[in-house]
Amino acid sequence: MLRPNSKTTLYISNKVFRYAITIFIILTLNFFIPRMMPGDPMTNMLGEGARWMDKAYLDELRAEYGLDRPLHEQYLTYLSSLARFDLGYSINKSLKVKDLLMERIFWTLLLVFPSVIIGGAVALILGSFAGFRQGSMMDRLMTSLLLLLYSSPSFLFAMIMVSIFSFHLGWFPLGNFASGKMHGASYVLDVAWHLFLPIAILSLFEATYTYLVIRNSITQILGEYFIFVARAKGLSNRVIELQHVIRNVLPQFISIMALNFGFMVSGALIIEIVFSLNGMGTLIYDAVISRDYPVMQGAFLVLTFFLIAANFAADLLYGIADPRIADAKDSI
Amino acid sequence: MPRIQSRLYMPNVENMSEKWSSSLDIGKFRKRVCASPIKFTGIAILVVLVFIAITAPLIAPHDPEKTGIPYQSPSADHLLGTNDLGQDIFSELLYASRTSLVVGFLAAIISIVIGVSVGLMAGYYKGWIRELLMGMTDVFLLIPGLPLMIILAAYLSPSMWNIILVIGLLWWCSTARVVQSRVLQVREMQFIESTRALGYSDSYILHKHVLANTKEVIYAKFSLAVASAMLAEASLSFLGLGDPLNISWGEMIHFAFTRGGFANDMWWWYLPPGLMICITVLAFVLITMESRKDSRLVELI
Repeated sequence: MLRPNSKTTLYISNKVFRYAITIFIILTLNFFIPRMMPGDPMTNMLGEGARWMDKAYLDELRAEYGLDRPLHEQYLTYLSSLARFDLGYSINKSLKVKDLLMERIFWTLLLVFPSVIIGGAVALILGSFAGFRQGSMMDRLMTSLLLLLYSSPSFLFAMIMVSIFSFHLGWFPLGNFASGKMHGASYVLDVAWHLFLPIAILSLFEATYTYLVIRNSITQILGEYFIFVARAKGLSNRVIELQHVIRNVLPQFISIMALNFGFMVSGALIIEIVFSLNGMGTLIYDAVISRDYPVMQGAFLVLTFFLIAANFAADLLYGIADPRIADAKDSI
Repeated sequence: MPRIQSRLYMPNVENMSEKWSSSLDIGKFRKRVCASPIKFTGIAILVVLVFIAITAPLIAPHDPEKTGIPYQSPSADHLLGTNDLGQDIFSELLYASRTSLVVGFLAAIISIVIGVSVGLMAGYYKGWIRELLMGMTDVFLLIPGLPLMIILAAYLSPSMWNIILVIGLLWWCSTARVVQSRVLQVREMQFIESTRALGYSDSYILHKHVLANTKEVIYAKFSLAVASAMLAEASLSFLGLGDPLNISWGEMIHFAFTRGGFANDMWWWYLPPGLMICITVLAFVLITMESRKDSRLVELI
């Protein structure tokens, strides 16, 4: 479908350029945040312990970490260490930040990816259902329900769900990824059982906003002239809905899914804490409580990279779903 | 033909004066309530909430800081029981409305000021100014909001003002986008072109005409900005980054979660502040809804 012509390459290279700038800005931001903040980076890096340390020893440490050198030199060192995936050491866990993150990011992605897909699918189905029958009882009910969900904080909803389904009914575990001591197929099933509730909650949260957008854009498309023509041609409602309307909703749907990915990562962080799942969320939470700055910054960087990757993928898909985009965006 | 068109853009003075006097007339007021019941529900909820926040010291049955017997169940004396320090949760809830509303409002004001300025400039001027501003907005949209807010709030000392600043400075992107697209529409309208032809300066046109025609979008966007700022504050406070001296609803849930309220199934501790957040956010969302035009909401979020 996507024939590699000059326009598409231009579109993609334009995008790549834009994302490269974004990554550069984020890296720079990450470098400057600890250095701009009140307090000195060394004391921040050592946490509470720095107060009781000898001043000479602190200076020695500063020299070791290169914090006494001029800022631009520090910046270059920072970039080169990032190129080697060196994110420093965690203060509290005395582990490499890289190793910590590698271990945790898998679980967060395991939580986020299914939720994005399930939530998106649910939103597409419900949203088109409500959009085609706008004003009906079902539409009103679903819209107000999802609006209510949209305006509730995710942790509250998660806490209520845990309290109902895990505390009182006992259908699902209270937290964690697995019960342990299991292998093979039973382990996979156990993990799925543990993840059911968090994924369901995250999917619902993703579905709220996407649902509203899809419902809205279907209403708009139904008012378009080409739908009127399609009806005049005598096409059945089913054909119009599937071929003309949904086809036109898809590009918007894809770009929303990509933006949602960021929203979902934030949501997953909070949900993980409620369910005490050992993913990025709990890592950041623990890091915040113990003021473990290297871990916080490493986690921020990794999350941002995944977000950018997701958006880039969406941009590519967008070009496939709507061939006009590549043309239109170049002409601006 | 040109005559008719210019008439279309003339503000109808008679209608305007009628509109103003109508706000005093009870019969017409009722009519307007009936015309958009959803919107007025939102306004009514907010009026009640603001009243509670202002008169908290008068309504609260106890001093929220006074300690007593911890972990009490709801009773006549303590409507929602007491927390781990024996403080009355109901009074704490009333006082917390102050922090939550203030943080929401002030953060939204900051984000709206930034977003509207960026959106106006990017929408009105062509060329590199737009490219730069919208490029910047795109970059900010890509940064995961909550993690960055967590880092900033963790570095700064935990105070209400820092949280307001952090949320306000990071939450303006969608406002900028919405305002920019509206301004793009407005600037192509004929009367703007005529004003420009008459030799008025850019700043005059921006202030007098473009801004006036984007006003509606900005008001609605402000309301939603308060809602999302309150949700952001709730998340930050839930993570324990809130101001320990000014307890907010989110922070009450944080304490209930970390100090055994949730594990012991004390729903009267964590549920009421959560519902308050929910109701307040919903009220701000409802205000932006016009009857039969609820689809507009989506363009604004």
